[in-house]
Amino acid sequence: MSLARRAVPPIGLVLGGVLIASAASLGLSSDTLGAGSTATPRCTSASLSILQNLSAGTVISVTVATLPATCGGGTLQVAVNNGIATGSGSAVIPAGGGAVTVTLGSAPARRVTDQVDLVVVGP
Amino acid sequence: MSRRDGVLLLATGLVLGLSLVQGSAAALDLTSQTLTPYRSCTLAGTPAATTVVTDATVKEASAGTNFGTATTDVISSATVADQRTYVRFDLTACSPAIPASAIVRLATLRLYLTGLPAVCRTLDVFRVTAAWTEAGVTWTNQPFGTILNTPASGTRSTAVSVGTPVGCTNRVAGYVTGGDVTTDVAAFVAGSAPNFGWMIRDDVEASATTRTTTFSAKNLGTIARVPELVVTYVVVP
Repeated sequence: MSLARRAVPPIGLVLGGVLIASAASLGLSSDTLGAGSTATPRCTSASLSILQNLSAGTVISVTVATLPATCGGGTLQVAVNNGIATGSGSAVIPAGGGAVTVTLGSAPARRVTDQVDLVVVGP
Repeated sequence: MSRRDGVLLLATGLVLGLSLVQGSAAALDLTSQTLTPYRSCTLAGTPAATTVVTDATVKEASAGTNFGTATTDVISSATVADQRTYVRFDLTACSPAIPASAIVRLATLRLYLTGLPAVCRTLDVFRVTAAWTEAGVTWTNQPFGTILNTPASGTRSTAVSVGTPVGCTNRVAGYVTGGDVTTDVAAFVAGSAPNFGWMIRDDVEASATTRTTTFSAKNLGTIARVPELVVTYVVVP
């Protein structure tokens, strides 16, 4: 038996042990992972205003306003997708909240419809 | 397998095990990370030929004429010369589609103001409850009928203050602020109300002194001034 072939069963056993350990740490009764869910805390559920700023027919930045102070210190990540091209960027939200303008790394053209995804990470 | 091999593999296994357990713990730390996601769909009247956005002015003084190809949207209060504007945004054009279960946090109707009255005027925005077409709507056949100051102001979805004097909310050219139509769009998205768009009129029609507000229409073809609807929502898992 080659070394590689000999190595397979023990690694399998070790991985099996790891899975058991993981399950134990998760408190799951079976070896099925991802069966549970948990609420992800959010800094706000407010009505954020999202406006795209244009230059020569392209979206160069996105202004997110009415950010509450509870999001202050978090990082605002923004992505614009017009179905053909995308642009993204991020900025830190001031401690007091307010409005933040995120400059996009690339400027997608303005089209009849586009989507802005944003997420506040932290604080 | 030799004993040496076994010891080596056992040690490796412990390391792997610890590493993987630590990795799992690190991944689980995401549950304690604050993440606040939002998504928005912006519908904009560009190019001018798009059918995603439709707008048209109806004129009392030209009751049977359609102005769906005009480059301005006009709201006017005047004796026998009132004007109203109809506008609609096809929310099904949003890509990805807004799920019916989405929570609409904010929907803003944005019209680009180009002409303001010399006094503060309140423009009422009403949800339209019957179908109309850009190429067919006229003063005579408009969904809300021809009776002035109808529907009543109290049934409006929102209102916008325009005019050049100090104290008006929108005093200069540009996109108006205050067009909050969140409740209507939430109903459109949820399917509890059909989307026939909005009608905008002066709060008090038939003014003895003509009071006119002008917005850029889709057909102007100026991308930075087109009518827009911005819908911000949260997807419910």
